[in-house]
Amino acid sequence: MIPINHFLVLSAIIFSLGIYGVLARRSAVLILMSVELMLQAAAINFITFAVYLAPGEFRGLIFAIFVITIAAAELGLALAIVLRIYRNKVTANVDEVDMMKW
Amino acid sequence: MGINDAWLLPLLPFAAFAVLLLVGKYLPRRGDWLAIGAIVAAFVLFIPLLADLLDNFDQPGFEELARSGWGWVEFGDFNLRLGFFFDPLAAVMVAVVTFVGSLIFIYSTAYMQGDPRYGWFFAVMSLFVAAMLTLVLADNFLLLYVAWEGVGFCSYLLIGFWWERKSAAEAAKKAFITTRIGDIGLLIGIILLWREAGTFDISEIFRFAEEGGYSTEYLTLAVLLLFAGAVGKSAQFPLHVWLPDAMEGPTPVSALIHAATMVVAGVYLVARTLPLFQLADPVALNVVVAIGLTTVMISATMGLVMTDIKQVIAYSTINSLGLMMVALGAQQVTAAIFYLFVHGFFKALLFLGAGSVIHATDKQEIDDLGGLQDKMPVTALTFGIGVFAMAGIFPLSGFWAKDEILHAAGAHLNWVVLAVLTFSVFLTAIYMARLYILTFAGRPRNEHVYQHAHESPPLITAPLIVLAALSLVVGFWAFDQVGEALGFPGGIGEFVFLVGPESFEFPVLAAVTSSIAALAGIAFVYGLWRRGDEPASLLARTFPTIHKILRNKYYLDDAYQWVVNNVVLLIGGIIAWFDRTIVNDTGVNGTARLGVLTGFQLKFWQTGRLPNYALAIVTGVIVLALVFLSVRA
Repeated sequence: MIPINHFLVLSAIIFSLGIYGVLARRSAVLILMSVELMLQAAAINFITFAVYLAPGEFRGLIFAIFVITIAAAELGLALAIVLRIYRNKVTANVDEVDMMKW
Repeated sequence: MGINDAWLLPLLPFAAFAVLLLVGKYLPRRGDWLAIGAIVAAFVLFIPLLADLLDNFDQPGFEELARSGWGWVEFGDFNLRLGFFFDPLAAVMVAVVTFVGSLIFIYSTAYMQGDPRYGWFFAVMSLFVAAMLTLVLADNFLLLYVAWEGVGFCSYLLIGFWWERKSAAEAAKKAFITTRIGDIGLLIGIILLWREAGTFDISEIFRFAEEGGYSTEYLTLAVLLLFAGAVGKSAQFPLHVWLPDAMEGPTPVSALIHAATMVVAGVYLVARTLPLFQLADPVALNVVVAIGLTTVMISATMGLVMTDIKQVIAYSTINSLGLMMVALGAQQVTAAIFYLFVHGFFKALLFLGAGSVIHATDKQEIDDLGGLQDKMPVTALTFGIGVFAMAGIFPLSGFWAKDEILHAAGAHLNWVVLAVLTFSVFLTAIYMARLYILTFAGRPRNEHVYQHAHESPPLITAPLIVLAALSLVVGFWAFDQVGEALGFPGGIGEFVFLVGPESFEFPVLAAVTSSIAALAGIAFVYGLWRRGDEPASLLARTFPTIHKILRNKYYLDDAYQWVVNNVVLLIGGIIAWFDRTIVNDTGVNGTARLGVLTGFQLKFWQTGRLPNYALAIVTGVIVLALVFLSVRA
């Protein structure tokens, strides 16, 4: 059986990639994709721990399903916001969107 | 109607007040008939109550029987009643308040006629009567205190009734503030009594004190604080300064509030709580005697030189109140209350007589009066009876009451007190005789005023006649035979007493000396007058310094004014400065400005750029994770 570490390392790599994407990308759409990566890294962790620590139980698996569902819903919402911003600002570049300051 | 219906007594005038306040100006005659109706009804109601009281007051279990009222505030152990207690002491007070009050209300319809605030006058007078009746009937100290402040407030409103006059507004303020000083003492005293006993109920506090619930020092402090309240309200030295100024109010107000009823509330309070004074250190009663005696002397001497007719009577009131206090200091409730009772009649008579003069002449300075007895025979005659009663001439009411006090002082205090009191009788006779002669006898000093003077209308003279008649006879209540004829168990000593019934004693020696003193005083003034002189100007010529001191009221008012200007206002200024700069500018506005300032500085951290926030979150998580790990390790 593949050792648990492999899965955890994979999850960590994907998560870090997500963080990097969020911090480094300027396009709102790419940032959203990076956020998705982070969520999926978390989902991998759920499944891994569910299989290795509590075999035969479904709680962790169900959480993974929840994560996916919520990710989809959240993305729908976020994309709608991005679209609105694009309509107003004619850009989806987060550096140029700074209406939320004093 | 039994004694447990006593709660109706204050309710009647209070209802009149409420109606007058709400719809008074739509009523015919602005509703004065309603106020009069209420107080007369209270007096009529008092009669069956008194009859029931006479049947019951010496029965066992009277204390529970005489109570009425209902719960007011109840939570946990704390229980406050809107409770009334109708006993002989309260009955005497109710009699004076309702009867003299009725006459004064009737008198006022003529005296106050045409005043723009005619209806308001009767409304406040009704409220006063309601508060006064509550005060004397209250069975617990807190209700008594509420009523105590109630009468003080009405007094303030009525002294300042003509507030367009600056002096009236000032006098009202002075009266209110001066009595407040004493009231603070009263409140603290009540709280002290409550703190140990856990109840405000007067008889329960008595019982608690008798069982030794209070330590002597504690009780002494508490009763002295109660006495401070009495000093303020009853215009005793050193808080007497407000009463002469209170004469700025309409004369019926002076008669009812500042002579017959409210100012004796202090005497009533001490009489009511005398059992506590007896249980306290003897120093408490000695203080009462000392204050009373000082009051008697300073008021009698100041009365000699005053030239305002109402002011002289005001000083005579202070004089009488001092006498009552001395009697209470000698633990003679009967003597004090007897004097209070007869004083209510003859002092109201004097004030109403003065009011009649003012009504007829529009003057109240003695210099503008004189010779009025031809023009106003009824007023002059009744006023003369009042003067003789006040001076204590046999057989008027004042004679009997005053002799009871002299007897009490001689028997229970010492000969010094007796001598001082006898001397004060001499002084009293002088200033009262001087007042009468300068107002009514001799040649008019102001021909113009004299020409326009006329006898007052019957609504004014009728109360004068009734009061004069009563001033002649109420003193005979001292005798057992008279009391029995009226249905009492005997004289006043068998009805109002502290320990046990006392029958009347006629102190021949005291009576003779005091009569000689009083007659000597009158004869002295008469003799001077025959030679075209009067005591005050004689004093001014022979002892100008003393005259000046007396005219300036022993400089007490000036001293108080100095203290107010230099101490009170200084401290007030410091406190105001502290409030403005420290509390307001630093404390309130300062913290607000600090918030604004830091917010202004910090707002530039908000770039509004998403990556910055994301970076901050990530950094924060990493830092937290590191901290967590290091703590775990």
